[in-house]
Amino acid sequence: MYSGPVIDCDVHHARNTDAELIEYLSPGWRQYVTDRGPAGNVPLAVQDGLPNPHGFMRADTYPKGGGEPGSDYATMRDQLLAASDVRRVILTFGDDSHVAGHHNPYFASELARAMNDWSVERWLSKDRRLLSSIMVGSQLPDVAAAEVRRHAENPGMVQVMLVDNPFNRGFGHPVFHPIYAAAEETGRPVAIHGGAGGWANPPSTGGGSVSTYFETHVLWPQAIQTHLVSFIAHGVFEKYPRLRVVLVEGGSAWIPSLLWRFDTEYKGLRREVPWLKRLPSEYFASHVWVTTQPLEISPQKENVVELLRSMSLEDRLVYSSDYPHWDADEIDYLSTRLPSDWHRRIFFGNACRLYGWKEEDLAPPREAVRESA
Amino acid sequence: MRVDVGPLSDFEDHRVRIVNAGDLEVGVLRWRDRFFAIHNRCPHQKGPVCLGIVSGRLGGAAPGSMEVDEETPVLACPWHGWEFELERGRALWDKSYAVKVLPVSIESGRVLLEVGRSRD
Repeated sequence: MYSGPVIDCDVHHARNTDAELIEYLSPGWRQYVTDRGPAGNVPLAVQDGLPNPHGFMRADTYPKGGGEPGSDYATMRDQLLAASDVRRVILTFGDDSHVAGHHNPYFASELARAMNDWSVERWLSKDRRLLSSIMVGSQLPDVAAAEVRRHAENPGMVQVMLVDNPFNRGFGHPVFHPIYAAAEETGRPVAIHGGAGGWANPPSTGGGSVSTYFETHVLWPQAIQTHLVSFIAHGVFEKYPRLRVVLVEGGSAWIPSLLWRFDTEYKGLRREVPWLKRLPSEYFASHVWVTTQPLEISPQKENVVELLRSMSLEDRLVYSSDYPHWDADEIDYLSTRLPSDWHRRIFFGNACRLYGWKEEDLAPPREAVRESA
Repeated sequence: MRVDVGPLSDFEDHRVRIVNAGDLEVGVLRWRDRFFAIHNRCPHQKGPVCLGIVSGRLGGAAPGSMEVDEETPVLACPWHGWEFELERGRALWDKSYAVKVLPVSIESGRVLLEVGRSRD
């Protein structure tokens, strides 16, 4: 079992009530949301996905005092932070993360701004180990870029996160580039979280829509694959050579297969994308990172390991639990599925490289809890 | 071994002409006043590479741009479209992967190929 330091790159923090977020809206938007009499608030979160038959949360993560999983710092601290040598956690929001699925682009931009302020004030203030994604309303890329730059001086806001897809175009499309310009300029990786292009906004899958959560969850990698191919083909890494991308919750065992095909297709179709200067797999190897959860389970565990090794993914994988979701991967479990000489890199070192941290600066969590918590 | 494959006038500009040189089937390209000779066999799946399209190398200084380098002729194999620059026969995506090229010289209005021992 691995017992060394850990960086968890996908932890979903949530709010319990609309009021928590409404507090951070501008007065005008606050009135828009709340002033509906008996109709109640305008919905703040987009929720039109398929229902999970178990619910989306681990039953044991509901706070004892009530409220939603991921909404209570003390519960998260006890269940996640104190359970192992966690040095950093990257928060990735809950249902609110689907903000780019809102039809109203102005409302989405305001919500994203409010969510980020909520995250800074309600979470980052409690514990130095907690870091947050910057959510953006990618419906308005210039506004989204400004939101990224607004957090440039806050080291706790560590990455830009994309989930839903407002334009039905792969995320490499130039319409999204203002966001990447801001991400590169401010040194933030862009995280593409599973479900992108497939939760509130179609298409959820290639070939046709699905009928069950079972199907859509199996096929989550499809959207991630679309965005990865799009990023590379559009030359995003030529245009923004310091940009880093992290693929979150899309699995990893498919990556060798996709990159082998991608490289082969490039040899024949290069003239359609002559701005590319390297093989697609080479762009991947220098710009893209991948979170571990959910690690594919092969009947013989060495099969997955061999696949990952074939593309040197032991140097690109970063640990993620997905706490408090139903399909979270435990450190103890994951350490039994991966070779022990990979553990420190995947649980700690690779994430330090991804986010530009020095390992020695991430001290043990003795004094991590801030006084105000 | 030097092989005479015909007078200059037999070779049309920007076209590949297939000739026999020793045991090899060779495509001879005239690119204005330059000549290139390529073994008509793609290293990928042994396709007739010289039957493919020849054009100036396409490049892009930035995403979305297309520029032609007319000084660098590129041959695309008709099977799968893999592209090779003709100066050294190298694939555009891997300098170590190449079609076999032969030295060409012009003497007294004749096109001569230097045919060494076949590598394959």
